[in-house]
Amino acid sequence: MTVLGPNESILDPREAALGTEGLVRRFGEVTAVDDVTLAVPSGELRAVIGPNGAGKTTLFNVVTGLLSPTAGRVWFEGTDVTDAPQYERPHAGLARSFQSNELFTEESVLENVRVVVQTAEYGPFGLDLFRDAASVGRERAVEILDRVGLDAAHDTLAKNLPHGDQRRLGIAMALATDPDVLLLDEPTSGMSPGATTKTAALVEDIHDSLGLTVLLIEHDMDVVLSISDRVTVLDQGRAIATGPPEEIRTDDDVQEAYLGGIREEL
Amino acid sequence: MSALSRYRVPVGLLVLVVALRPVVAHQWLLGFGQIATSMLIWMLFVAAFNLLFGFTGLLSFGHAMFFGFGMYGVAIAVARLDLPFVVGAVVGVAFAAAFGNLLGRLIVEKGEIYFAMLTLAVGEAVYFVVNRNPLGLTGGSNGISQNALPPWVETFRGQKSVVLPFAEVEWYWVVAVVFLLCMLALWQLLRSPFGRSLVAVRENEGLARAMGMNVDRYKIASFTASGALASIAGVLLEINTQGASIETFGVLTSGDAVLMAVLGGVNYFFGPVAGVFVWQFTAEYLSSFRMLNLPTTELALVSVDVSGVLQHWRFLLGALFVAVVLLSPKDGVWGALRDGVRVAAARFREVRR
Repeated sequence: MTVLGPNESILDPREAALGTEGLVRRFGEVTAVDDVTLAVPSGELRAVIGPNGAGKTTLFNVVTGLLSPTAGRVWFEGTDVTDAPQYERPHAGLARSFQSNELFTEESVLENVRVVVQTAEYGPFGLDLFRDAASVGRERAVEILDRVGLDAAHDTLAKNLPHGDQRRLGIAMALATDPDVLLLDEPTSGMSPGATTKTAALVEDIHDSLGLTVLLIEHDMDVVLSISDRVTVLDQGRAIATGPPEEIRTDDDVQEAYLGGIREEL
Repeated sequence: MSALSRYRVPVGLLVLVVALRPVVAHQWLLGFGQIATSMLIWMLFVAAFNLLFGFTGLLSFGHAMFFGFGMYGVAIAVARLDLPFVVGAVVGVAFAAAFGNLLGRLIVEKGEIYFAMLTLAVGEAVYFVVNRNPLGLTGGSNGISQNALPPWVETFRGQKSVVLPFAEVEWYWVVAVVFLLCMLALWQLLRSPFGRSLVAVRENEGLARAMGMNVDRYKIASFTASGALASIAGVLLEINTQGASIETFGVLTSGDAVLMAVLGGVNYFFGPVAGVFVWQFTAEYLSSFRMLNLPTTELALVSVDVSGVLQHWRFLLGALFVAVVLLSPKDGVWGALRDGVRVAAARFREVRR
């Protein structure tokens, strides 16, 4: 495999599990995402790296429909989802976690996950008034919490969890939507080295044993190099290189973009 | 989970309707029980409001209009059109639900502040229309007070009763039954999958949307249900006050609902119940208080005429409200009570050990 430059993709974005074509997002004068064409094949674990402000989170926001693109298309499993409402995308199989700890803070850990399982079951709007919700989706929520290692914290209020566990709860909720493609926005941010290793193993486990396509924004280069199949480098909104981690590491353009930033870490 | 803790809300509601009247009528408290009926009606109204505010996160400053729709629905049908009470009640509640649904569709996506402002504006517009006495139906600023009671309600020395084919029932118990049914429906709604989704929307709207919830539809549905429930309280209020009064539509009524809910604790099912109780009890207690005798009435060493101060009971209520919000901003009276009981129970257990 070789390193691909800007606007070269491994396959036609329309045939990828997740693809973008010439995606642009501007905020006034600032172009946060600048003509990004990407194709993530089904089953791949793709890391998205780049310096702060490179547009990684904005790319995620546009792909998941939180923001609409200024130009370009988003393809999901062969369907153009650019104009689909944000709330429909998890039901199609496209889920995400957030960079900040977005939780239903005053609810228990179990309820945080259970209500998402319930949503996956009922669709975007469910008017079931007659059941006791506590039993709806409970088993699956328990199963997911076991997987992410929060099995001992079912009754803890989400706001009272330690930071690292809140990050894992975010992943659990994204998993509860039963996704095909999972976008994880810095799942290890703010974690100790030990917790980072544990979370990296969790991401790898989700990818391997559930067979999900994973798109991962990550700052920790050890994590990126050890678990990703391919890496895409964003710089000033542009996808400057895509390739296997070892080759990205030694690529001249990438070195240039980071200019000593990541070079030393690499 | 034991059956008692699972059904503690229904049990609590039952205890409430049975105990409320004797408690407020106790000689140490108010000494008369009539106010219990109006308390139940207001509790239902504020609980309906709180479905939207406390459990969906939408602040409506115009909820009085739904109260008024139920009230005027009955009054117009009975006093003006000579239609049976049931027709008026059904039309009033259906109108409230439809109005809430359509208004929700228009304004629900505008964001919190705009929602509050727009409900306030629409509430005022409705007040204006009712005040203009369209087609001679609403009676304008006089409201409707003549022949506004259905024939099966009898009034004897200020006490109302409902004449059924087999028996005559005190008005309080009719209100209690309707109150119970509506509050049980609300309780079931809140613990259903639909209700849990509303709470998720309240907790974190953006996350709810990202996890696949059509947030706007949930809000519209909540607004619809809240409006319908509030209008049922309005139907009861029409009989209770023997007619319809324009003040019900007023901005003060909407404001009182907000204040009572916050006073009681918006995150709790029993918050509005506690809020209405404290508010109305205090208002009644303060406005009937004349002489402050210390230490007791029987053995008064010092007697102070406080009627001059206490006629400003609204000011004192405001002070009470500020105190509660400062002491427990999110939890209100009910939350403070719950915490107090919990702490006391924990201490008690420790002492026994």
